[in-house]
Amino acid sequence: MEAYENKPLLVKGKIRKHKLISNNYGEMVIEAPQIAKRAKPGQFVMLSRWQIKNLLLKRPFSFYQINPQEGRFTILYKIVGKGTEILSNSKIGDEIELIGPCGNGFLLPKEANRIALVARGIGIATLLPLAQEASNRGIEIYSFLSAREKSLLLGRDSLESLSFHTFYTTDDGSKGRKGKVTYFLEELLKENKVNFEAVYTCGSKRLAQHIQELQQKFHFFSYVSLEERMGCGIGACKGCVIRTCHGYQRVCKEGPVFPLEEVMFYER
Amino acid sequence: MKDKVDLSVNLGSLHLKNPVMPASGTFDIRDTLLNMRELNSLGAIITKSIASRRREGNPGPRVWETDGGMINAVGVPGEGVEYFKEHILPLLEEANDTIIVSMVGDSIVDFCALAKKLDNFEKISALEINLSCPNLNNGLYFGVNKDVLGDLIYQLKKSTQKIIIAKLSPNVTDITEMALTAQEAGADILTIANTFLGMAIDPEKQIPRLGNKVGGISGPAIRPIIVRMIWETSQKVKIPLIGVGGITCAQDALEMFLAGASAVQIGCANFSNPYVMLEVIQGIKEYLLRKKYSSLLDIIGLVHKNHF
Ligand SMILES: Cc1cc2nc3c(=O)[nH]c(=O)nc-3n(C[C@H](O)[C@H](O)[C@H](O)COP(=O)(O)OP(=O)(O)OC[C@H]3O[C@@H](n4cnc5c(N)ncnc54)[C@H](O)[C@@H]3O)c2cc1C
Ligand SMILES: Cc1cc2nc3c(=O)[nH]c(=O)nc-3n(C[C@H](O)[C@H](O)[C@H](O)COP(=O)(O)O)c2cc1C
Ligand code: FES
Repeated sequence: MEAYENKPLLVKGKIRKHKLISNNYGEMVIEAPQIAKRAKPGQFVMLSRWQIKNLLLKRPFSFYQINPQEGRFTILYKIVGKGTEILSNSKIGDEIELIGPCGNGFLLPKEANRIALVARGIGIATLLPLAQEASNRGIEIYSFLSAREKSLLLGRDSLESLSFHTFYTTDDGSKGRKGKVTYFLEELLKENKVNFEAVYTCGSKRLAQHIQELQQKFHFFSYVSLEERMGCGIGACKGCVIRTCHGYQRVCKEGPVFPLEEVMFYER
Repeated sequence: MKDKVDLSVNLGSLHLKNPVMPASGTFDIRDTLLNMRELNSLGAIITKSIASRRREGNPGPRVWETDGGMINAVGVPGEGVEYFKEHILPLLEEANDTIIVSMVGDSIVDFCALAKKLDNFEKISALEINLSCPNLNNGLYFGVNKDVLGDLIYQLKKSTQKIIIAKLSPNVTDITEMALTAQEAGADILTIANTFLGMAIDPEKQIPRLGNKVGGISGPAIRPIIVRMIWETSQKVKIPLIGVGGITCAQDALEMFLAGASAVQIGCANFSNPYVMLEVIQGIKEYLLRKKYSSLLDIIGLVHKNHF
């Protein structure tokens, strides 16, 4: 069967570092060399730190940092329910079951000079490894980060240090400008001074829809990383679809990264 | 030294080298972590339900975890039977000797035409009829109406030489009535059962969790109901039963054999543990050895004898 080597693997990892950030977030370093070696920015892992009889499904998390040399990767997670609650009670040395790397990562254009990263909240996590790779290749990064408030601009220091320019917006004005996430991006595009080979976004469907609108006005290429409820994470259950111009596509298999213009958002 | 046990079983004329296979729709030969050797060690491979034409499936979200299980409304998407024959069947043939094709149809005519199209393929061992997919209006209709169910199975038996497995819907008052009807109409084997209709609602957004609003519940929560249904049905029908619903380990599968099932299918447990089917095969073997049985056949329906 084709591309056998690229299939995700089921492996047991070890939790090497774990810290809670404020009440609702956690950052966890997981040792799993087989996965860390193959992980690419934009891909994700399915993980469980529970027995199947307690919680049936694994949960998807993006790679936040990838360290192939040390055989480790990091996830940044938000506590929202049972699974992430259990995760937040993890101790160093605990075993964690993983399936990954799953999905297709971000593509950087071959000849890119400058890219834009637009992320909201926990979506910043997904874009950080992309920023790392782009920075390694000498690509100039403009980051546009947004959150409800300053403390939710997670990973902003890491991203800022990799970026040529970082623009902040918060809903309450506690950092950067108050208001719409895409304000700065739109201003730059309007002035026609900077030119992005690609715009990457993640973290909110509403945000992605805004960028789609800008795309129609300013014609740039864009990728979006999307989330959907998952069963298997490997393409088997057809549970994680989103609507695209090619019909329904699986977030875990054809995605989670999609060309933005192909995605058809709809409000439920 | 008695360290060999025989896991093989005949379900009528369907021979299985062991009694463990995936449940339809929870396993895809194109997207599995199992290698060729592992695929070949399964009792059979069963496909997602195949339709005569391409089907889109339901809008998302299509899955939601519930206490002790999950609810899905995937809606049987697929490329249709012609694509299946050309692109998927060859992969299946390479992977396992026993291939069961699950079928879904809009009408009796549609079902029969589909069965005819699959009849020429020698490598297909049996057809499983998805009577009970609660996500499609028509699926529900076949599985919960005795007359239509009987008529469908009867017509299918006339359309194909293949072994017919009727996968019953549990969403009925008395599943043994449906089982008897299917048997009388000529079904060779029964699968008990498909998912239970259910619903989940998001209290924050005040909307259903699933795009299709309602869906089918699977997973550990339904297992005791399925075990009871196997136990009841096996007392009434003569044809063999395949048990499915909530198996996550060998212990769970053993309950179904003891209740009267001759084989089992494993569904959503594959999602969390892609190797669960292999572990269950191993676990059954260990159990039989420990209890000093030489064959799986020794325990099928044993509960009926042990209880008076
Ligand atoms: C490809 C992908 C990558 C992801 N990466 C990350 C990541 O890096 N960090 C992170 O914190 N989260 C990430 N998520 C989301 C994460 O998987 C969910 O938050 C997690 O599964 C919740 O599990 P739980 O058991 O705690 O919550 P559950 O009990 O399953 O759900 C609790 C509540 O959270 C909501 N919820 C759960 N999952 C989602 C979701 N996927 N989208 C929208 N709402 C949801 C539900 O509506 C529910 O009300 C990602 C999701 C996908 C699909
Ligand atoms: C995501 C998903 C898709 C399914 N698709 C089908 C299908 O196409 N045809 C079918 O007959 N049953 C389908 N089923 C039902 C399963 O085959 C099985 O009957 C059910 O999940 C109960 O078993 P389990 O508890 O082991 O999962 C599906 C179940 C799930 C969870
Ligand atoms: S989660 Fe199963 S197909 Fe994507």
